[in-house]
Amino acid sequence: MKALALRAPVAQRTWLLVALGALLVALTLFMPALEPLFRAAFPELNNPVYQRESFLQLTLDHVTLVLVSSLISVSVGVGAGLFVTRRAGREFEPMVSSLAAIGQTFPPVAVLAIVVPLAGFGFVPTIVALTLYGLLPVVQNTIAGLGTVPPNTLEAARGTGMSSMQILWRVELPLAMRVIIAGVRVSVIINIGTATIGSTVGAQSLGTPIIAGLVGSNIAYVIQGAALVGLLAIVTDLLFERLERRFTFGG
Amino acid sequence: MIELEGLTKTYAGKDVVQDVSLRVESGEFGVLIGPSGCGKSTTLRMINRLIPLTRGRIILGDEDVTQLPPEQLRRRIGYAIQSIGLFPHWTVAENIAVVPGLLKWAKSRSDARVDELLNLFHLDAGEFRDKYPHQLSGGQAQRVGVARALAADPEVLLMDEPFGAVDPITREVLQNEMLRVHAQTRKTIVFVTHDMDEALKLASRIAILNAGRLVQYDRPIELLTQPADDFVNDFIGKADLGLKLLSRRWVHQYQRQAPLFDDTTAQSTGNQHAWEVDAQRHPIRLHGGRLDGDGTRQRTEVNAEWVATAEMPMKEALSRMVWFRVMALPVIDAEGRLIGEVTMHGVMGRQP
Repeated sequence: MKALALRAPVAQRTWLLVALGALLVALTLFMPALEPLFRAAFPELNNPVYQRESFLQLTLDHVTLVLVSSLISVSVGVGAGLFVTRRAGREFEPMVSSLAAIGQTFPPVAVLAIVVPLAGFGFVPTIVALTLYGLLPVVQNTIAGLGTVPPNTLEAARGTGMSSMQILWRVELPLAMRVIIAGVRVSVIINIGTATIGSTVGAQSLGTPIIAGLVGSNIAYVIQGAALVGLLAIVTDLLFERLERRFTFGG
Repeated sequence: MIELEGLTKTYAGKDVVQDVSLRVESGEFGVLIGPSGCGKSTTLRMINRLIPLTRGRIILGDEDVTQLPPEQLRRRIGYAIQSIGLFPHWTVAENIAVVPGLLKWAKSRSDARVDELLNLFHLDAGEFRDKYPHQLSGGQAQRVGVARALAADPEVLLMDEPFGAVDPITREVLQNEMLRVHAQTRKTIVFVTHDMDEALKLASRIAILNAGRLVQYDRPIELLTQPADDFVNDFIGKADLGLKLLSRRWVHQYQRQAPLFDDTTAQSTGNQHAWEVDAQRHPIRLHGGRLDGDGTRQRTEVNAEWVATAEMPMKEALSRMVWFRVMALPVIDAEGRLIGEVTMHGVMGRQP
């Protein structure tokens, strides 16, 4: 009964995902086609659609920033979470948790201010800032997720004669996966929004039209950039929701 | 056969299990029992080294396994626990096939074994193989837990209060099932419980532990009739000792020939009671045999609850006599034919 009740809204959200995904692709490819609309809305602007780079290029650059930083966040975060939940690393848990928390306390802008003098402008400082910023939810959820595995399930696993590696891969990680993915989801969504500030230090992204619009008082540019960032975030979130659901066991 | 030699566990300088030595022969049902904190669970978990032992030796069959890597040892020893601990992300079949998988059995062999075990526990293989643990009732999950422990045909089966968390009715069903499975598989079992009635019902040998020491290791009857010391005496509980003893006696030990009712001789046989049977020797009613009536003129109809079988514990037979307020109970065979009787006089006239 419960499974049935859950199924209906998922089917509705599939349509939402398809619709918003299509809208995202359409806007990315055909934003210039909306020029008459923006001209009508903002008659005082000479160039109501951002044309310096294509929105496809900006979106790809944005996705690359998020992908690279999230891959690093996830590998480092899950690795750290695993380490501190093993017997050997247990005493490092408070330290790792506070380090990850500090990473998120630092505003990404402040990280940029520190990293730019060291690593120069562009891609690298943005990746550093996003990686640090996205680390906390991954670390926290990895630790929490592994903590949700019932002790008697672990006891039973040991009792069957599985090695600690087999227990980790076959029992702990699958059971913790839903919570870990929830952490990755939060981290990625945050970074999709935060990646826009990379444009202030020369990393091209969907933040570029936003910054340009803010600097040149062109509200249309801001709307175009922000709409795509927002859509990208929502579509990604819906995708993660479906992924999480795959790792739900039991009632 | 499994033998423990001087098993000792020391935590922070304190011996929680002290020099426990005992031997459970092949096919025996050994039960470790004692008050909480007596070290029975610790002892059990030292056998498959979920708890590393401080001192002592463990001999499995004729092999000293004390130095064997724990993972290898555990694949040879079945382990079932109170909370069951089924893997929630795996189906019943996958759960049962864990150890065969670790031992790298061929798929066909482990599939066949899963079906065989489900059948052993009267779970329909077609229905249950692909269910997930959250779709099972407590009793079904516990059966799957024991099936998992038996999957790779282990030399010994360890059970840590496996029926502690189920309701009393399910527990009794599972206990009966465990007796049947034990009789069918002749597995060597080491079973931990704190429930004396459960121990008396299941065990062929009972080890009583107190404060980390083995106090007495004996057959249930000897434990009841010759307790080693005051602790055992108190632990068994004197209040219902008579009934406990009868729980380890079987109807066939008290059974005797049933006097048959015959219209012509009824008055002259001198029997206090007699059984009227039909052409197939199914008992129909008892003439006499009650204290509240008028001698042999009293009639009691036989019904499905008011009978005994040869394998029934005497305690249950006695309980039925008390409940139906009769002095005798018919003993029937599988076809429902009268093969004898047990009587109140029989129970009282014999040293239990």
